[in-house]
Amino acid sequence: MSTTDLAPTPRARFEIAPQLGLAIIVGLLVVVFAWKQPGFVSSFNLFGMGRSLAVDVTVGFSQMAVLATGGMNLAVGSIGVCSVMFAGYLMQDLGLPVPLAFLLAVMLGGLLGWLNGFTIVRSGVNAFIVTLASANLYSGAMLILTKAQPINVLPPIVSSIGSYEILGYASPALVVALVIGLALYVFYRYSVPGKETLMAGANARAASMSGIAVSRSIILAHVLSGVLAGVAGLMVVARVGAAMPAVGGEDWLLPSFLAPVLGGTALAGGFVSVVGTFLGAMLVTVIRSGLLFVNISNFWLQLFLGLFLLAAVLAQRYRGLFRMRLT
Amino acid sequence: MKPHFGRMSGIAVVMGLMLTGGAAIASDNHIVVAPGGPHPYFAVWEQAAADAQKDFGIASVKYRVPSDWKLELQTELMESLASQGVNGLGIFPGDPVGVNSTIAELKTRGIPVVTLGGCAQDPTDAVFCFATDPYKTTYTMTKALIAAIGGKGNIVHITGQIIDTNTKLREDAVQKAIDETNGAVKLLQTVADTDLDPTVADQKISALFAASKDQIDGIIATAHNSSAVTAKQLRSLGDKRIKFIGFDDDQAVLDDIKDGFAFGTYLQNAYGQAYLGAYALDLLASKTCTMKADAPWDKSPQTVHFIDSGVLKVTADNLATAKDEMKKMATGIQSKFKATYLNCK
Amino acid sequence: MIGFRKFASQEWAGLAAIFVLGSALAAFLSPSFLTEYNIYVMLRSASVELLVAFSQMIVLAIGQMNLAVGALGGLVAVLFGAMLQLLGLPLPLAILIALLIGIVGGFINGLLTTRTGINGFIITLATGSAFTGINLGLTESRPFHGIPVEFVALGDSRWSFVPALLWPPLIVAPLLAIFLYRTKSGRKLLAVGGNMRAAELSGISANAMIIVAHAISGGLAGLAAVLAVSQLGAAQPEIGSTWLLISFAGPIIGGTALAGGYVSILGAMLAVLVIALIENMLVLMKVDPYWVRFALGGLVLVTVGVNRWRAHQMGRN
Repeated sequence: MSTTDLAPTPRARFEIAPQLGLAIIVGLLVVVFAWKQPGFVSSFNLFGMGRSLAVDVTVGFSQMAVLATGGMNLAVGSIGVCSVMFAGYLMQDLGLPVPLAFLLAVMLGGLLGWLNGFTIVRSGVNAFIVTLASANLYSGAMLILTKAQPINVLPPIVSSIGSYEILGYASPALVVALVIGLALYVFYRYSVPGKETLMAGANARAASMSGIAVSRSIILAHVLSGVLAGVAGLMVVARVGAAMPAVGGEDWLLPSFLAPVLGGTALAGGFVSVVGTFLGAMLVTVIRSGLLFVNISNFWLQLFLGLFLLAAVLAQRYRGLFRMRLT
Repeated sequence: MKPHFGRMSGIAVVMGLMLTGGAAIASDNHIVVAPGGPHPYFAVWEQAAADAQKDFGIASVKYRVPSDWKLELQTELMESLASQGVNGLGIFPGDPVGVNSTIAELKTRGIPVVTLGGCAQDPTDAVFCFATDPYKTTYTMTKALIAAIGGKGNIVHITGQIIDTNTKLREDAVQKAIDETNGAVKLLQTVADTDLDPTVADQKISALFAASKDQIDGIIATAHNSSAVTAKQLRSLGDKRIKFIGFDDDQAVLDDIKDGFAFGTYLQNAYGQAYLGAYALDLLASKTCTMKADAPWDKSPQTVHFIDSGVLKVTADNLATAKDEMKKMATGIQSKFKATYLNCK
Repeated sequence: MIGFRKFASQEWAGLAAIFVLGSALAAFLSPSFLTEYNIYVMLRSASVELLVAFSQMIVLAIGQMNLAVGALGGLVAVLFGAMLQLLGLPLPLAILIALLIGIVGGFINGLLTTRTGINGFIITLATGSAFTGINLGLTESRPFHGIPVEFVALGDSRWSFVPALLWPPLIVAPLLAIFLYRTKSGRKLLAVGGNMRAAELSGISANAMIIVAHAISGGLAGLAAVLAVSQLGAAQPEIGSTWLLISFAGPIIGGTALAGGYVSILGAMLAVLVIALIENMLVLMKVDPYWVRFALGGLVLVTVGVNRWRAHQMGRN
């Protein structure tokens, strides 16, 4: 490439192997919890875990899409709740059929994401500040329009999607999350816009010198992030059978970063791990759910959550070091 | 199946139940009461759960707290408890609408759920709600405040998180009480989102005083932390002119009442909510009792299966005796509960 | 070099102008704004936030993030309360130990980050959860009320419109500036943030600097917590629960680089003050609660937009 003498070559790395450690740790934790408390792997608990996991994974993907460009999206939760309330409004007040309402709600997510991306690119202000402001604007607009009142007379099909059990233990939401994961994998690995997004994230200047429209990549990443936030919101709508203003918001902020970063996605941009994000979310879900089964006195739960997380991360780290020493 | 006379804790509540024929029966039920997250209001639930287990001879009554105020964590806890063989659940709903799908799922698994301290929004599968009615209580509080300021003047409403659907109910209740004064009382301002981080509450409430301290005649606070921070602020100002009616029993509020910085507060029946909740759940889970279809339900904007757990107005006059009065009220409700609401074998 | 300095100074100049113009507008819109008491109230609320912003800024300086700022603050606050109420320690000793706990908490963050080589983001997220866990485990979410009266009175005292609580951040700010720009360690710290590999090649121990930054961050979070207890008159377990966003918003709106290596202390202070001004105005103007969020977002956007526009204009001239 002709740009090598100007800057480091933008490397669009995409790997699977480092995530093996995470998978092993998740697997071990499941075994330990199941051994201590068989109820942990009961079909009901697996179903419940899968349903939570689906939301966490999708929220993680939503953040990952923007992390790929080296930016951040603090408005993931706000976009999510806007899609939630919009879907509720379309179904209850306008009586639109469920699929159409869901489609439009996801499109709203994409639109709000586009607004973020457009503002960032046009103003040159960094993504952190723009999405911090827009998070308040989106949530604020939602509060003004809904007066924070839930919409809870939705077509019954919505909640039956949420409680439908595939083969007794899998939630449709989990299947959706898996399909999204597969699509994202293909997108970042094989598609031109996906690879360009990663290059733009790795080194914007070098990317733009090699003819990549960096601005377009950033906007695309935010649209994708918005769409995924919308999908995550709709998973919650199906889950609770209602559209509530308390979904998302700041509650999604840390989880959205946790899954991708645990999974190895770089905060600096240019590298994403779809599989890692999935496993990262899985790690958190398994620890959280498992701790509910072992007898830890109430208020200390949060402490153990932190310690388990730390231990898991350390274990993953030192597995890597160990392997390096062997080779 | 003999009454557990030996394990009587001496609490008057139980005496009431015994007298009305509600003999405590040993059961092998596992009951859990769970708030929506960590909050000082629920601290007494732990003791209430332990007492209920002992007094009614229930195999176990546990108090479990989600690690944070997120609906997802509460529903995960509920699902997990169901997988662990719990057969009766009393919850303070993290969200009045959001808990319903989980309640419905537990019902299909034969686990009765009651809501305690706050209600789930109808349509719901919760068996009943035993709580303080936010609308009615706020209305009563506002009426009391209006009386305290002599029927005319300006009042301010300091309330909890705007995202909490109960906040809207409280706002409506304040407005209704004010409307009934035909313009004699004006709502100067509503300050919301003051229940989460006390630093945020402090910022908003101090700015409020800076702006319109001299125009305010009365303040009503309708959330726990909002009330605590307002109490602290009034003490700092050294203001005894403004009449303040608070909510719950934070030490700062009680001290203010004693020293004249606050007019009064409204206490909820927190202990009784968990205690009676566990008692009812035990009977329902054992299938010894079912709810009466024609029970004399109270009215609540959220559910038709509402039982008022009662509030106690505390002012300087009854500050010393408030604890006993509260206990007496709990006894009163509980002694009649079985006969009023249940059909038992 | 002079051109760079000029640019930097303009960066905070923009925020200063916004603060002055905003205040003028506020005074015009609400007669209560320019009262001595209101200025005091606004500055008092900003005091804790200033320290919180500094606490994050020093970690941003090395190109990392500290997601445990609020959790550590909450833990220090309740331990401080416990020392006063349960152990009956004398106030100065309790304050000293509280600050030490903060520093140790930060030190642990730094140590874990450097020893494991794991991203500070993940480490502080996990330790934050652990800190909150200890907080909840100890308090079961009940506040400590046994705070000495004179300490609470200190939190309410003022000289004209200057609250006593403002002094700690006002003293910390120049100390930080001297540390970062006038001492060898400070310059090393910024160098590590600017380009870790280059710094290490020139013989700087990046790990030591990372640990120092985290320890300072912890100490400042602890100081903020002590101030918050004085301000609230009680050691509330919820202290710190909403610090996360302001901790980033202050420094970053103020011009501190997320990537590390550059901080603007004055910028962070002005950004916190502008936000305090906005929040104060939302109450003074009796904004409908349902509109507060929207207005806050809009005004932050306007602030950033104006600041950016100014910088752009300066650049063009």
